[in-house]
Amino acid sequence: MPRSKTINLIFLTMLLMVSAVTCFGQSTTGTVSMSATVSKFVEINSGGSVTLTGNSGGGVTTDGVANSPLAVSINLGELGPSNTNSFVTASVPLKLRSNAAYVLSMSATVTSSGTSASKIGAADVGFGLGTVSRTGLGVNAGADTNATSGDPTLAANGSVNGTTGRYEFTAVRSNLNAFSSSTTALSGPIIMNAVPRSNTNGLTVPAMFAVKPQFFENGTTTISVTFTVTAP
Amino acid sequence: MRLRHVTYSLLFALIFLAFAQTTFAQALDISSGGQPTITGAVGGSVTGSALVTNDLVVTINFGEVSPLNTNSIVKVVVPIALRSNQPYQVAVSMSGLNNANTQAVQASDVGFGIQNMQLLGGAGQICNQSTHLIRSPFNNDPAITATVGSNGRVSYQSSLGNLSGSTIILSGPVLSKNNSIKRQQSDGYTFDAIFTLTPQFFASGISSATLIFTISAGPNVPC
Repeated sequence: MPRSKTINLIFLTMLLMVSAVTCFGQSTTGTVSMSATVSKFVEINSGGSVTLTGNSGGGVTTDGVANSPLAVSINLGELGPSNTNSFVTASVPLKLRSNAAYVLSMSATVTSSGTSASKIGAADVGFGLGTVSRTGLGVNAGADTNATSGDPTLAANGSVNGTTGRYEFTAVRSNLNAFSSSTTALSGPIIMNAVPRSNTNGLTVPAMFAVKPQFFENGTTTISVTFTVTAP
Repeated sequence: MRLRHVTYSLLFALIFLAFAQTTFAQALDISSGGQPTITGAVGGSVTGSALVTNDLVVTINFGEVSPLNTNSIVKVVVPIALRSNQPYQVAVSMSGLNNANTQAVQASDVGFGIQNMQLLGGAGQICNQSTHLIRSPFNNDPAITATVGSNGRVSYQSSLGNLSGSTIILSGPVLSKNNSIKRQQSDGYTFDAIFTLTPQFFASGISSATLIFTISAGPNVPC
């Protein structure tokens, strides 16, 4: 066979091969691939209204609103001996939610206008987290670890110093001196099951602050507390 | 001489193959039905061809579906085109989404429904004796049928959890008017495959799945 004819045949063959392949352009299957990401999520909000007791004067300046960002302001009122109550206490409800194990930390600063050792200091402000509650639809059961000693007004958590006569909160992490830097107050496992954010349930716990009225040096004191929740 | 025989034999075989492909053009075809869309996503995306003559190859990234995504739902609409010169059925099979942690994203957390069966480009075979049947429970828009279940978790009328093996989702009579060997712009039907995922307090992690849509000869219903 002449070479030119052979070449033509080869070209024709190639053309038909391309044509044949083209005929397979249709398909009986198609694919849809999908992926989704769930990042760790934690949040802290107000768990509701603040309870202030034992105060003389003062009051809740900015109250907590359940499920809203926590931004509470409290005037504890008179903390000198003219307040004859045994303690001035403020209970601030917190609400935590997470899809992962969490750690609630707290840091506090106490500044007083006084100049002597008798001014109100961080150690004079009792603190503790109360009973942790995991209730409601969509809330995961789990055991939390309270790193504080609970209600600071409990007899087991403080007493009058036999030497100085000053009332002291003596239990573990029972006063703000233990939180001069960010320190763990509460930790635990995942809080929420797979429910939408519109579900408002969560873990609630009261943050309890207490001051024993005493012969403190006169002046004004400002206490600032910051709560931070993380998912390590 | 031998080369000539071989060449002619090959030539004949290819001519026959091309002829056969022309005469018995593939009767069943599935392809892209248009540009997929995504709404409500944070960091998500969907890729796929807008051309109905291209293969159905779609990649969905729902993005963030923890409460960090404050949208009520992430919704993806994937148009799919079908062509056939005979009764057909469409089946879907799934792989993946086998998280052991029940609080992580499960197949039942991904809503899946079929809507908007319509003529492809306004043309296709219109049959009066049979209808295109979306199999139960998939005839819904999962973004609309989403509800909060008794356990607080969002559920849907139909989801990927309703897929078991190769599950038929759609069937009906002939779809196309002609037997063209090429995908036509307007000779068949399209439908929307709708996927939804509601952001929730899922356990953290990355989940993935692959769905395979297959068109095959279906129940012999008249046109």
